[in-house]
Amino acid sequence: MCAALLAISAVTAVAARPYVPADDNIVLAHLSAGVSHTSLQVRQQAGARVDVALPLAQFYISQARATGDLRFLGYAEALLRHWTSQPSPNPEALVLYATILQSRHSFDAALAELDEALGARPDDAQAWLTRATVLRVLGRYAPAADACAQFARRADAGVSLICEQSIKSLAGHLASAYATLAGLSTQGMLDAEWTWRDSELGEMAVRLGRDADAERWFREALSHSPGDSYVKAAYADVLLRQHRSAEVLTLLNGQESIEPLLLRLAIAQQQLGDPGLARSRELLQAAFSAEAERGESVHRREQARFLLEVENRTQEALAAALANWAVQREPDDALILVKAARAAGTPQRAEPALAFARAQGLRDVRLAAAADTHS
Amino acid sequence: MKTTTLVLAALLLGAAMSAQAHVASNSFLSMRVDRAQVDGTLELAVRDAEIAVGLDSNHDGKVTWGEVRAAQSVLVLYLREHLHLTGSAGQCALQFGAVQINERVDGNYLWQPFTADCHTALRRLTIDYRLLDEEDPSHRGLLTLSAQQVTQTAVLGGARGAQSFDLRHPALWSAFIEYLQAGIWHIWSGIDHLLFLLSLLLPAVLRRRQHRWQAVPHAAPAFLNILKVVTAFTLAHSITLSLAAFDIIRLPTRLTESAIAASIIVGALNNVFPLVTEARWRIAFAFGLLHGFGFAAVLSEMGLPQGARLVSLVAFNLGVEAGQLAVVLAVMPLAYLLRATRLYQRALLPWGSTAIAALAVVWLIQRAAG
Repeated sequence: MCAALLAISAVTAVAARPYVPADDNIVLAHLSAGVSHTSLQVRQQAGARVDVALPLAQFYISQARATGDLRFLGYAEALLRHWTSQPSPNPEALVLYATILQSRHSFDAALAELDEALGARPDDAQAWLTRATVLRVLGRYAPAADACAQFARRADAGVSLICEQSIKSLAGHLASAYATLAGLSTQGMLDAEWTWRDSELGEMAVRLGRDADAERWFREALSHSPGDSYVKAAYADVLLRQHRSAEVLTLLNGQESIEPLLLRLAIAQQQLGDPGLARSRELLQAAFSAEAERGESVHRREQARFLLEVENRTQEALAAALANWAVQREPDDALILVKAARAAGTPQRAEPALAFARAQGLRDVRLAAAADTHS
Repeated sequence: MKTTTLVLAALLLGAAMSAQAHVASNSFLSMRVDRAQVDGTLELAVRDAEIAVGLDSNHDGKVTWGEVRAAQSVLVLYLREHLHLTGSAGQCALQFGAVQINERVDGNYLWQPFTADCHTALRRLTIDYRLLDEEDPSHRGLLTLSAQQVTQTAVLGGARGAQSFDLRHPALWSAFIEYLQAGIWHIWSGIDHLLFLLSLLLPAVLRRRQHRWQAVPHAAPAFLNILKVVTAFTLAHSITLSLAAFDIIRLPTRLTESAIAASIIVGALNNVFPLVTEARWRIAFAFGLLHGFGFAAVLSEMGLPQGARLVSLVAFNLGVEAGQLAVVLAVMPLAYLLRATRLYQRALLPWGSTAIAALAVVWLIQRAAG
């Protein structure tokens, strides 16, 4: 209750007074593609025609990815609702819905939708791939590898290799996975596949401690998908580690609406003593407050990092990092937990993440460095 | 099949894309209830309003203030269809005012004021919020609902459907219990009030005849004496407690505490050197006024909770009464049984009272010295 009230005051604090604009020509909002009432009429057909619903939902999901705007996931969900709530739901709709759930960090619910889809259609390559992805985020590498193997039987060899090696790189085979993927022929690859491969390679290079290579991979990935915010975030982290904050400002300029990017921007602004920091903090606080008010915590990893690296509120950062670790287990989740636990003066609180890394054979120089400092 | 896979492979890229995104769609619904009337505002993001009703009439991908004004009536129609308030007398009649614009960190919002007439005073309000339900199931309305100085918050929309809110003070009962306990605790732990009462009650089982104590012949006069003293004391301290609690009269704590100690000396010495023998209830009343200020000091330390001031005050007072009644019930039957003995008349009453007076003298010195 108290937290909710605080959250409200945080949100209302940043809201100015309402006013009547002086001029009819003042523009209040720019609408991106797919955001209009007109497209609603198209959407209304989606209840009757699955061949309209699925591609449109897919379009919205890709818009969500490109812009970082969660509303698109809602639009996609609205289109799919009719097709997933049938007595025998459409399996493709279930897989798309699972993707939405995954993006909202409802991992168990996503797996349930995928199980249902695979029950109806065991040969659905997409469902296997999505399943591998969700299991990987949860740190369940053995079943994730199984899902990749299932995917490989039904899909193109190149993409299958990326799936398989990206899991292996986390589970004890970092160097060999890196070598294998780096040697993968890119001939005939689509931009999306190429970006995927490069960003996986970039992440592996980061874990290997080869930041110069990582930077090269991320830049290459961005040359194929210039708007990819995931790659940008990973690239910004490499730059921040090297104290190249000015480059981060250039890279992320104008992308404040995407929270993970806004976080990196704020950290860079702090390193530089940039006056824009106040605004970035305000935006981030408002976003975390709004999430808390809704009873959601999609950005808990970002929140933990914000509390630790920008606000220096170490105990709260540790609490957020622990809560985040309970939900997702990627290398970055382990890293923020180790850092937060150390900063809070209780390094032993990070033991679950370190034990996980030992058990899985997860190799990451950043993790080792962060854990070493306190031993 | 293959194309689908490839598109999604990109979507799922790096798995960690989990952490994409920016704030989901929220509206801000704020309402203030006054009897049957609700005053409220709804803030809806311009782009959410576009999705709901279509503001961008020239389809240029920009929503201007002129377009918003032109669409105001459509917006109101949409809101009438998707937002329903219900009180005990059925649906409330909604009236929408002129829309304005509010800037929030994530963009411009339509700021739509409204009033609702719910016909009879609201004790419970049901809000059925369906905005954007068809278009964006992840949309939520963040509600701030104020009634009787109490503010509640809730998340509206989604699977929850209509939600009901109790507008009576939600913490009223817990405040009552808390202050009742505080009252009992105070009377038991602050022994001065009890000693004062006791010094007035010890002679209640006796009567004064020719400068000597006699046992009352039967229970009725004793009971009447006790009743008069307890009632007078209760009445008096309730009056001053209420006056002080609502800040009508305020006395310095040191003064009241010293005066309370003095009142105990007077009450106790009156048993040793009886001056007032039949109308001790007058002493109880007169000094009870002082004791009320003493209770008020405790209450002001605790503070009366907003929206539950009266209930808390009554509860605290009831606690004080319950506490003193318990002591009276424990002590007085024993006094009644012993009333005819020399022990009671020659030892307990005079020496007990002297001891009480002596203790009170110590308190008086301590308290007056501050």
